[in-house]
Amino acid sequence: MRLEHQFEVPAPMSTTWDTFNDLEKVVPCFPGATIGEVDGDEFTGAVKVKLGPISLLYNGTGRFLERDEAAGRIVIEASGKDRRGNGTAGATVTAVLTEVADGTAVDVVTEMDIGGKPAQFGRGMIQSISNKMLDRFLACIREKMTGGAEV
Amino acid sequence: MTATEERAPEIGRARPRKEDARLITGRSRYTDNIVLPGMLHMSMVRSPVARARITGIDASAARSAPGVVKVLTGADLAAEQGSMPNAWPITEEQKAPPHPAMAEEMVNFAGEIVAAVIARSPAAARDAAELVDVDYETLTPVVDLATAARDEELIYPDLGTNHSATWVFDSAEAGTGGNIKEAIAGSEIVVERTFRQQRLIPAFMEPRSTVVDPTGEQITMWSATQIPHILRVMLALTLGIPESKLRVIAPDVGGGFGGKLQVTPEEVITLLAAQRTGKPVKYTETRSESMIGAHHGRDQIQTMRISANRDGTVTGLDVHLVANMGAYLGLITSGIPILGAFMFNGIYKFPAYRFECTNVFTNQVWTDAYRGAGRPEATFAIERMMDELATELGMDPIEIREKNWIKHEEFPFQTISTMEYDSGNYEAATEKALELFGYDELRAEQARRRESGDPVQLGIGVSTFTEMCGLAPSRILGALRYAAGGWEHAQVRVLPTGKVEVVTGVSPHGQGHVTSWSQIVADRLGVAFEDVEVLHGDTQISQRGLDTYGSRSLAVGGMAVVAAADKVIEKAKVVAAHMLEAATDDIEFTAGTFSVRGTDQSVAFGDVALAVFAAHDLPDGFEPNLDSDATFDPENFSFPHGTHLAAMEVDTETGQVSIRKYVCVDDIGNVVNPLIVEGQVHGGLAQGIAQALYEEAVYDDAGTLLTGSFTEYLVPSAPDLPEFITDRTVTPSTTNALGVKGVGEAGTIASTPAIVNGVLDALRHLGVTEVEMPCSPSRVWHAIQAAGSGTESGPPRTSAGGDTSGGRKEER
Repeated sequence: MRLEHQFEVPAPMSTTWDTFNDLEKVVPCFPGATIGEVDGDEFTGAVKVKLGPISLLYNGTGRFLERDEAAGRIVIEASGKDRRGNGTAGATVTAVLTEVADGTAVDVVTEMDIGGKPAQFGRGMIQSISNKMLDRFLACIREKMTGGAEV
Repeated sequence: MTATEERAPEIGRARPRKEDARLITGRSRYTDNIVLPGMLHMSMVRSPVARARITGIDASAARSAPGVVKVLTGADLAAEQGSMPNAWPITEEQKAPPHPAMAEEMVNFAGEIVAAVIARSPAAARDAAELVDVDYETLTPVVDLATAARDEELIYPDLGTNHSATWVFDSAEAGTGGNIKEAIAGSEIVVERTFRQQRLIPAFMEPRSTVVDPTGEQITMWSATQIPHILRVMLALTLGIPESKLRVIAPDVGGGFGGKLQVTPEEVITLLAAQRTGKPVKYTETRSESMIGAHHGRDQIQTMRISANRDGTVTGLDVHLVANMGAYLGLITSGIPILGAFMFNGIYKFPAYRFECTNVFTNQVWTDAYRGAGRPEATFAIERMMDELATELGMDPIEIREKNWIKHEEFPFQTISTMEYDSGNYEAATEKALELFGYDELRAEQARRRESGDPVQLGIGVSTFTEMCGLAPSRILGALRYAAGGWEHAQVRVLPTGKVEVVTGVSPHGQGHVTSWSQIVADRLGVAFEDVEVLHGDTQISQRGLDTYGSRSLAVGGMAVVAAADKVIEKAKVVAAHMLEAATDDIEFTAGTFSVRGTDQSVAFGDVALAVFAAHDLPDGFEPNLDSDATFDPENFSFPHGTHLAAMEVDTETGQVSIRKYVCVDDIGNVVNPLIVEGQVHGGLAQGIAQALYEEAVYDDAGTLLTGSFTEYLVPSAPDLPEFITDRTVTPSTTNALGVKGVGEAGTIASTPAIVNGVLDALRHLGVTEVEMPCSPSRVWHAIQAAGSGTESGPPRTSAGGDTSGGRKEER
């Protein structure tokens, strides 16, 4: 499943870049996510999601596949397994930062791969919940980058 | 002595079902209602991935969870579980992987059981099941049937192929007809088409449930199964428990439709769990477990070539099937497509026929029997092909059928696929159906709508079908390499007051056996309908039987009842003669009374029964009981037939399909209970229409079943279905004394092609040549768009449209 999001942040590209590379800052923005250990380009973490009647707690690992500051491109791959055996989830997130007049434009493409019960219970639900979660994530990021000046 | 009273026959009477009062007021005995002292509950842990190596199972958290008694894994059961049975190795070379009830090292479909948690309550078992941590090393699943058939990635490398078996019937080799290659080469027209029989989920009303009590002298298993007798034998063979130590009871069972014609891993695991804990254990699946873990139906790719002459006479039929087995072979998985081999020729006279089927493994739950089992697939294909041929030749679909079907005076008829059709009258059923339908008027309306470019087009779907019921003569099953015969057993027990108990080996799951059997025995013995009790579904009470499937109950099981009742009469005549001081040969039996021919001397059935019970004065050497049993092995199948007509409205702007009118005239031979028959027809139609329009099991590339709930898997409900116009013609079967043929699957088999033919008939003038099932609005809309017709090109092309309906009018 491919999800696409675009937004602009009123901050220069370098600030945006730094924020995106700071996992301790970025990860808590993702609803239900916690970060575990960070070791260079690799990290561990957990995501808690409620999908209709199913609640999932994915434990997993992730790593930066690409961090190209010159091109403003970050690729993160993460995969996890639900603690209750309901399935697995994987995502590859590609963020491309572009300098624009008022700040930085960010294009995020997420390739999600969800298996097991959540997939069985409806793609439509996953899509709408994922969109909502990413919206909250992006709102949180924007807030962090603008120093909480606006929400 | 009483005079013989005029007594209206029970057979043919629309008796409301005896069993319904209990079933519809919540006083039924379904397996999940069974509660035993000290009973434990089980919950399954199922694989969320389609293909993986199990690299570790950590059950420690589950084991220490509240209420948990035991956690079982495949490794724990390895020594005992054996391999699940496949009773139908269709060829000597058939390949099959080992099929453990619980996966040990590998999982091969999403939903396969990897562990089981046994706890003191269902909730505790479910909660703890979530704590079992299984590590999977996932492998690339092979999900798509066509891809699997190409053998690029092998699911079972040890087998060296994904092909399980190839089975061929060739009329030239069998000596029943000509060579297909020559027939095709020598014909004026050849039509080739490929159809997909989508995968379906049986979706029975009562989910599968099993209770096993190991605390008695025997192990007692209650199960929501169609096949208690077969289940007992198979469990004995699989687990090595002597049959005498195993009692299987199928209490009230809420539907099966083939979905419960199975020996399930759940049953095996429940039994092993009960043995391990020494306590009764219950397992009832959730609906979503049912959808991912109980077998599915259909799932074939059918490539067919039909050859004919320009006048519409068919000359040959060449069938190539690729059938999806799923990950394992269940009880009769491999035989299902083979059953279709005998039905692809339908009601037609083919001079040459070849059938080839390749059974292929995929990483999906296995397929097996589903209402009609092999016959709906075959009937769909041939009825679609006849329409395609009619279109190519510019003939009316009825006309092409008339040209090729077996005439009523030609019965019994030996078909090219070796079946001997007992009796039939396709002309009469078709005539009646056309009349009820208003065929000519609807054709005229169709032409008007085309003319005016109405956005809602009308199509007429025809399906003239036959099927084989009364499964099956044991010798034929033997020739097909099926593990057991097809006989059936019944017992009639005469109680002291003259009331009777009938024990039947066919175990019902909603078909109303209790009522029908009561009617048969009431007529045969002249006792009241209310005085007959019917016992079934318990291997201790009904010791022998081969259970219920394939519309065999009445034609085979009912005949066993008749034979047993007749033996009772023969026995009772001896006693009656003794009581009346006459010769046995002079005793006549009518309407419950034994009388001496030519006199007014008589004695009632009840009086004879009481005399035998008292046993004070019986003929010398007479064993004091009137009970009799009989085992009936049919000499042939029976072949019901019928003509189904559907008027389909298709909105060309939205793709929405609706049924304007549905008429079916079925010929199922004699009818015991018209009310039950009507119900069976309605249910069957709903199921067949569902395949045409709604239902489809869809897996994604990863092998996840995306239609794992009723939100995505569309089972039709009453508002989705039209009012059915049903009628019958009666051509009694000549292969059984009741003259009955079987009706349980008729509606399902005949309706699917009628609906799809109707949808295509509505759209052909727009250039649409095929819509894959189910014909959802989206599929229909896309087919219309792909045909590129839009509004500008108008209704071109000739064929099936207005001209041919004119032709019909002149004819009739």
